[in-house]
Amino acid sequence: MVATQLLVGMAEIQVAKEGPLFVCLGLGSCIGLAAYDPVAKVAGMVHVMLPAAFADKPVDKPGKFADTGVPHLLEQMARLGASRSRILVAMAGGAQVFNFGTGSAGKLDIGRRNADAVEAQVQALGLRCLGKDVGGNQGRTMTFDSGSGLVKVRTVTSMERALCSLKGS
Amino acid sequence: MDGNAPEFNAIQISCLSEMANIGVGHAATAIAQMTNKPFQMSVPTVRSVELEAIPLMVGAVEELTVGIYMPVDGDVPGHMAFLFPWRSAQAFWRLLLGQAPESPEQIGELEASVMLEVGNIMNSSFLNAISEMCGLPIQATPPLLAVEMAAAILQAIVLEATTTDSHALSIETKVSCEEEQAEGYFLFIPTLGGLKRLFSSLGLPEVA
Repeated sequence: MVATQLLVGMAEIQVAKEGPLFVCLGLGSCIGLAAYDPVAKVAGMVHVMLPAAFADKPVDKPGKFADTGVPHLLEQMARLGASRSRILVAMAGGAQVFNFGTGSAGKLDIGRRNADAVEAQVQALGLRCLGKDVGGNQGRTMTFDSGSGLVKVRTVTSMERALCSLKGS
Repeated sequence: MDGNAPEFNAIQISCLSEMANIGVGHAATAIAQMTNKPFQMSVPTVRSVELEAIPLMVGAVEELTVGIYMPVDGDVPGHMAFLFPWRSAQAFWRLLLGQAPESPEQIGELEASVMLEVGNIMNSSFLNAISEMCGLPIQATPPLLAVEMAAAILQAIVLEATTTDSHALSIETKVSCEEEQAEGYFLFIPTLGGLKRLFSSLGLPEVA
């Protein structure tokens, strides 16, 4: 059986009852966070771009920022019957893609800040993180098969590998 | 389409296309001189797009790609990038160095600096042409290089664009050399403030 594919673009949040394959394509400095409630069988994914919402601008898309994206993902999952205390998560991304050139070091380190910000949200909200593949210089494609619970990561140079299963055991 | 994306009128868009056309013409000449090969540029497409949609606009989002990114300073600030598929990047290396790395791990300082220079020359020729036409100072800043999935490179650029100014316009064109099967994809994302200054320098009506 081929699962429906749900492409999670930049700043997007997607939620569904278990079944679809969630995909974040080519995560650079962005973070993909997959979440699953194994009891309610509700799954979701958010594609976070930046650590925190701008103080002087209204939030156009809550999925864009770590501090709004993670809570919104949980809220949307709750509407489908998920309970925060049961939600398991996995995250990938936060790389520094531009790694050659003067001043590249430190200048575009937004990837690391994104990873820290998402992790802070995960902790603050009391979520259990079962898998994490962040940092480095490589862009990643992250998939979450909500049917099997498997979270996988692939890069341009490495084969797809399993990060963890959100089905619990 | 983004609900709060500013709308540009047809005159502004066609004027921008024409300027971009001249700009990429200059860039093609520069790259032809550098490599001693004929390069063609397609007529640039000017699109009002949602920034977040840009990473998925290129065809092969997961394909190994070489990207050169330059933030743009001056009166028309923005973000500029030149991307080529790995195979085309190898063609550029062969043209300029006589040989090409077989995999990204083999990229040394020399290979990296050659690519940075290609991007530098392309982008600066484009910017100089625009700057002369509208009489506004526009400068490129030092280039950065990434060898990655196309979507990851574009995402990193979009992310930078998001932190500066909201804007929703991209200028894309294809640069190609048939003889060498080398092609690249050129992207310029001006800021909204920069675009307004550009249009007013040309005596075009303000963005509605």
